[in-house]
Amino acid sequence: MIVTDGTDTLHSSTEQSKKRQKKPTYGEVLRVEHIGKWYGDLHVLKDISLTVQTGEVVAIIGASGSGKSTLLRCLNFLEKSQKGEVYLQGRRIKHHEKQLNKLRQELGMVFQHFNLFPHMTVIQNVMEGPVQVKDMSKAKAKKLAARILEDVGLSDKTDVYPAMLSGGQKQRVAIARALAMDPKVMLFDEPTSALDPELVGEVLAVMEKLAKAGMTMLVVTHEMWFAREVADRVIFMDEGVILEEGDPETIFTAPKEERTLEFLKQVLPPQ
Amino acid sequence: MEHILPWDLTVIPSRFFLFSGAAWYTVQITVLGVLLGMILGLIAAFGRLSSHRGLSGAARFYIFTIRGTPLLVQLFIIYYGLTSIVTIAPIPSAVIALGIHNGAYIGEVFRGAIQSIDYGQMEAARSLGMTHRKAMRRIVLPQAFKRAVPSLGNQLIIALKDSSLASAIAVPELMLKGRQMGSSSFMYMEMFIIVGIWYLMMTSVLSYAVHRVETRLKVSDRD
Repeated sequence: MIVTDGTDTLHSSTEQSKKRQKKPTYGEVLRVEHIGKWYGDLHVLKDISLTVQTGEVVAIIGASGSGKSTLLRCLNFLEKSQKGEVYLQGRRIKHHEKQLNKLRQELGMVFQHFNLFPHMTVIQNVMEGPVQVKDMSKAKAKKLAARILEDVGLSDKTDVYPAMLSGGQKQRVAIARALAMDPKVMLFDEPTSALDPELVGEVLAVMEKLAKAGMTMLVVTHEMWFAREVADRVIFMDEGVILEEGDPETIFTAPKEERTLEFLKQVLPPQ
Repeated sequence: MEHILPWDLTVIPSRFFLFSGAAWYTVQITVLGVLLGMILGLIAAFGRLSSHRGLSGAARFYIFTIRGTPLLVQLFIIYYGLTSIVTIAPIPSAVIALGIHNGAYIGEVFRGAIQSIDYGQMEAARSLGMTHRKAMRRIVLPQAFKRAVPSLGNQLIIALKDSSLASAIAVPELMLKGRQMGSSSFMYMEMFIIVGIWYLMMTSVLSYAVHRVETRLKVSDRD
């Protein structure tokens, strides 16, 4: 399906046990060092460093206001951090317009509120990036967009406007739009938080499919099921720092930090 | 009829189409003036939204002075006031004055429309790797224009009526024609009723056209 790094293919293993075996990784793709971010006097990110390996699925969890969305937005410079560096495949990104535009092509972003372009049809939304940013021919982009829309299960909606779609469908279009740029990493900023409960599943299913196809993903989420079952690594953020990180099983069953335990107690249904 | 009213309204049909040439002038200076106004308005809107202090200051000053002074004063400054530097013929003077005047109002319309577009649209475009300029052109402006259509239509109707002031600098448009026909026949009431009907016809056509455009544009965004 989605062209990632040419390694994994979809449906590689049909028999998935509850716990997936560790995927092979192919080196670091994204690294941030010592990110510091203030809103006036408010210190929202405190010296955060993080490395993401190719093919890795990282879930970032934590209470609202813990800085997890801000961290994600600092990675593609939608927010500018006052301190710290971002490295893509080992290359430091300079705060220079051209470099930022290049970086953003490599980091697909999915927003909580979809942010689809309402004046364009579904397929035009997906074609916009390749045509306008990568100078792809319209014919080629149309084929690409049609294929990706098929992957996210929206072949029948290509020519409608976003206003005619449900929230779950909108978010799947938004995922397709980001994928059309063939990014190295996908960033998800609370992709299911604005959805009605019954629509969450279809979006998570697409994300899980993407993860299994080998896409590198950073997911800020309140969906603990996703963090536990799909992510390779879970990061717990609290008050602007990464308080704890590790494999999902450890974080969810034996967290080291008191705050992590407290948070999990609040968000997980009682056993 | 002349026994009841002091006017002979029966002359209206027979004189009506003597005004069509003048009406055509009204249409031309209005359309050209508003087109110029849209260009100036777009520049003013970007100026005001610019983070460059000089640019936003200049745009603010333009809007402040033009909106705060009468169109007639602006018209006279361009037609009479500038004669020591450059002589501009009546029709171009009227077009320029209408353009500058409407530019200030249209600038504020555009600025409001651009600011009303959810910032998430700009972010989504930038996240695909688009430059700010391209994101503006491809994503924000098309939506902003759509949102500006009702106000632009309104401004167009105001401009059409305002163009009557061009009679004061001898542009042979409807209002001047009315004055000439009135003074030569002494039938001022009848002639100005004709002028009024012409304006009403044109503004009606404009309102209908704007309404049509609005409904057509609504197709895509219903939320």
